[in-house]
Amino acid sequence: MHSDRASLLLKSAAFAGLLFLHLPILLIFVYAFTTEDRTYQWPPPGLTLKWFAVTWNRPDVWEAMALSVRVASISTAIALVLGTLCAAAVSRAKFFGREAVSLLVILPIALPGIITGISLRSAFNIGGIPFSTLTIILGHATFCIVVVYNNAVARFRRISGSMLEASSDLGANGFQTFWHVVLPNIGTALLAGGMLAFALSFDEVIVTTFTAGQQATLPIWMLEELVRPRQRPVTNVVAMIVVLVTFLPILGAYYLTRGGTETAGGSK
Amino acid sequence: MSFAVEFDRVARHFGQVRAVDDVSLQIAEGSFFAMLGPSGSGKTTCLRLISGFERPTAGQVRIFGDRADTLPPNRRPVNTVFQDYALFPHLSVRDNVAYGLMVRGQNKASRRDAAENMLTLVKLDGYGDRKPAQLSGGQRQRVALARALVNKPKVLLLDEPLGALDLKLREAMQDELKALQKSLGITFVFVTHDQGEALSMADTVAVFNDGKIVQLGTPEDIYQRPRTRFVADFVGSANVLPPEFCSSLDLARSWASLRAEAISLTAPGRGQVDGTLTGTRYLGAVNRLSVRVGKTELSADIPAHAPVPAPGATVGLTWDARALHRMEEG
Repeated sequence: MHSDRASLLLKSAAFAGLLFLHLPILLIFVYAFTTEDRTYQWPPPGLTLKWFAVTWNRPDVWEAMALSVRVASISTAIALVLGTLCAAAVSRAKFFGREAVSLLVILPIALPGIITGISLRSAFNIGGIPFSTLTIILGHATFCIVVVYNNAVARFRRISGSMLEASSDLGANGFQTFWHVVLPNIGTALLAGGMLAFALSFDEVIVTTFTAGQQATLPIWMLEELVRPRQRPVTNVVAMIVVLVTFLPILGAYYLTRGGTETAGGSK
Repeated sequence: MSFAVEFDRVARHFGQVRAVDDVSLQIAEGSFFAMLGPSGSGKTTCLRLISGFERPTAGQVRIFGDRADTLPPNRRPVNTVFQDYALFPHLSVRDNVAYGLMVRGQNKASRRDAAENMLTLVKLDGYGDRKPAQLSGGQRQRVALARALVNKPKVLLLDEPLGALDLKLREAMQDELKALQKSLGITFVFVTHDQGEALSMADTVAVFNDGKIVQLGTPEDIYQRPRTRFVADFVGSANVLPPEFCSSLDLARSWASLRAEAISLTAPGRGQVDGTLTGTRYLGAVNRLSVRVGKTELSADIPAHAPVPAPGATVGLTWDARALHRMEEG
């Protein structure tokens, strides 16, 4: 039996599900405005905006924020280059072990972060590389590449081979073909992949814990801050910022890839 | 006489597969040349050897006397109209047409003018701002044509150019392509598996089978005087007559071809042979009769308005002695 109107039970179940998912996040937002700074007391005894000013004046927040932005930007950049090249090779060329390569590229995101973290940590140790911003970036790049690769490879498959031949036939060299034909057709996929990669890197904790030296990215800083019973709402203010910084790119990526169906090959 | 394209003992092997096997041919400048054959016969590979997307395993390809098989596609004086048109979906029609001029560094104003002129030539003026997705199949094909011609190629290559169009449009485009080739004077080389297309447009036809050219000649040669059984059968499906048939007519033993439309019906005993009518197929303009003569099944086309004998009847078949064409090989 099927009815067009969802039953009351189904509606309330959906509502409960949404509450379960989002109520805790709302709580974090509310505590950013509480007047009480030692325990998370409910309901908040009063509301204030002073924590925003306090956060603004905390140099350690700015430091962590700057590090997070730097790590996310650089690992996204690395992922864009390597992920695109990988996708191009796997979708355009035929070579021995191609299927294996495409599986291996995706593997890092399927592996638990703790495995990636431990293996990277011992690899850096063996290689004698000191833990620093660089090692965090390398760690983040491993899973950022996957996101870029996945987005790019789907788009590459939609570029017909004869389109690249046509470009060459009309006199374009390899670079011109890439610039004028390939890039415009995979551009939105790369932007979407890059945004997702940035968001993933920005809130990453596990791999970062294993690959960082003395530095603290924003999520690590928050973790440390929660232990201290002083100026707790500052953490909540930062959490709000993290939510915004990661949510907006993901939303953007969603809209970019959603509209991508009318590109290459869709004209037939 | 200079040749637009010359193949000198060209071969292209893919592993064990000999896609093109020891092909030599000359395509005269300014001609409309058709490569005709079933799929897998090597005709498309030959086209790609001219455009540069395939390199020969052996032999040489020359374009206007210059060796071309060492040049990459972007440095050959030829352009291609692709089977699926291969238009750039992200560019407007005008930018598609101007693409070749853009990558060669021509300035924006002059390439825009050239593109507009070319769009006028293919009767698409006013469509410059559209995207390929907003055009019909026939219009996309014209864009592909304009995009190739704007570069003033010495040779225009067309890969099954009309394959994706419906019948009416295909016939109109055949006339248009022919007229365009005449007015531009550019050598056109096109690949097709449609014998009607090859016969009606080309001045020279090369029939391909198994990586080799089995016959090269004018459309009339190919149709009237097929050299082998394969050509007789593939081009216009002629009656292929075994050597015994010729012997029974007191002719020298050899394979022969006889077009269905060259045969007419007469009373038993009055024609060259008698046979038994086994079936009739109505084809619109004609009725195609199947007549069994000895062990051979012959097709004979008679005008649709003429009376058709009942199946099983004995009929006489007659033809002009010149219509029976003896073939060099079986």
